[in-house]
Amino acid sequence: MMRFSTLLKHAADWMTGADADSAIVLTSRIRLARNVVGAPFPGWARKQERTELLGSLRETIESLPNMKEAFSQELSALSSVQKQVLVERHLISREQAARGEGSATVVNRSQTLSVMINEEDHLRLQSIRSGLHLREAYDLIASVDMELEQKLPYAFDHELGYLTACPTNLGTGLRASAMLHLPGLVISDHIGQVIQAVGKLGLAVRGIFGEGTESLGHLFQISNQSTLGESEDDIINRLERVIKKVRDHERNARLKLIEDDPQMVADKIARAYGLLKYAYVIDSKEALTHLSLIRLGSDMECFPNETIQLCDTLLMDIEPAHLQHQAGRKLSPEERDTNRAKIIRDRLHSLPIPDIGFIN
Amino acid sequence: MQCDFCDSKATVFFTQIIDGNSKKTNLCDACAASQGVTDPEGFLLPSIDFPVSGSKSEVKDDLPEAPPAPVMDGKTCCPDCGFAFDDLKKTGRLGCSGCYQFFREEIKHNLAGMHKGTSHTGRVPEGMVEAFQTRQRLEALNKEMDDAVSAEDYEKAAQLRDQISQIEEKLLTPDT
Repeated sequence: MMRFSTLLKHAADWMTGADADSAIVLTSRIRLARNVVGAPFPGWARKQERTELLGSLRETIESLPNMKEAFSQELSALSSVQKQVLVERHLISREQAARGEGSATVVNRSQTLSVMINEEDHLRLQSIRSGLHLREAYDLIASVDMELEQKLPYAFDHELGYLTACPTNLGTGLRASAMLHLPGLVISDHIGQVIQAVGKLGLAVRGIFGEGTESLGHLFQISNQSTLGESEDDIINRLERVIKKVRDHERNARLKLIEDDPQMVADKIARAYGLLKYAYVIDSKEALTHLSLIRLGSDMECFPNETIQLCDTLLMDIEPAHLQHQAGRKLSPEERDTNRAKIIRDRLHSLPIPDIGFIN
Repeated sequence: MQCDFCDSKATVFFTQIIDGNSKKTNLCDACAASQGVTDPEGFLLPSIDFPVSGSKSEVKDDLPEAPPAPVMDGKTCCPDCGFAFDDLKKTGRLGCSGCYQFFREEIKHNLAGMHKGTSHTGRVPEGMVEAFQTRQRLEALNKEMDDAVSAEDYEKAAQLRDQISQIEEKLLTPDT
């Protein structure tokens, strides 16, 4: 069985942008909601019912070939910082972190597959991939789902599909999403239009950090809302089509920014570089905003290729729980700001000054 | 609708799905109580006696339609888990998968604005595929029959009706 420390020591490929094409689409994620018959949903079950079901479900999940030497832990056995770290890594949900007894998480060794037991539903199967690879993520989840349906009596209805605690997940129980980095659309002030257009297609867009359209770090998540009345393929294909469109818009916005106002773009990237490299106190908001510009600059070839991966690793490592986990103790917000600045300075130490090739 | 056990008016509509076969029973209050339908314990009995067969073969709506939930203590609760439908408004969640049987119509009523459609078209767990296909075939036949009636092609409608009742007959016969 994998230990918590081992889990954290090795970042998954998808977290560090190992995919060559993750400049705009960072990650793709698929989640399936499943329940078994004859047991109340976790939110309505008594503690004893929940704990009993957890025991048998956990055994079944751990016995999956995909879960060999997995990380498997009951939520009640984790500290609040540890839970928060898993949330920051997208391995468990905020909702599950809030749960105590009778809930567990099982994560495979490569951290591409995770199963939340007794979150809102009995089972939430999740698969994450770097870049735009919804299909691959779905294929892995589907194979696990098919193995599980041999062993577990799934709650399924011929009219309503897979039955879930919340009616918004009925049918396929499938939520597909992708995380996109859209600084071009934000800076050129076109993000509002894009969000509106995507919303009209029945998909949801939300900021990863912070609220509203001025998402911190220019990171957005696009996901399907409807789960009933469409097949899994339809949902994934539609989402993928829309994401590709948004990616093209972002590409064009970046090109247009360079064409229309190269000085402004260069100024933003170079200032972000100076600030991150020499700051001693930096809060989340400031760090995310400037890391986003370094990330943009990498895509514009101002920095070496691997800088995108460096940024993506940093994005996670400077989050509050990660900072505290690394420090080995609780930190006050002020301490976090100084630790955050130090980590960033260290990591960017050898990053050369931006090579602004788009201004001759 | 009349009670299947006596001549009183049916007030409890009980649908059981066993191995993918659905079985509907209409009962009056008294018979529902004596059959244990309204008793949460008795409700889990594998099957209740089905007194009449074929006499009330309705062509339409083979599958569970609007089984109003049993009322307990004046509150509408799921007999499987005791969840009160009114709580859905508060929590946004249901109590158990059985709730979908008992509050089916109420839930369906709320689905329209939420999803692309109101019936599942995605993957079906292995072992349930056949039943799912049968159901879809029944739906298609029913629609064809309606169309035939609208077009006043009664001969075709009658043929379709026979086909439908044949399939339904098979559904209601337990596997041998």
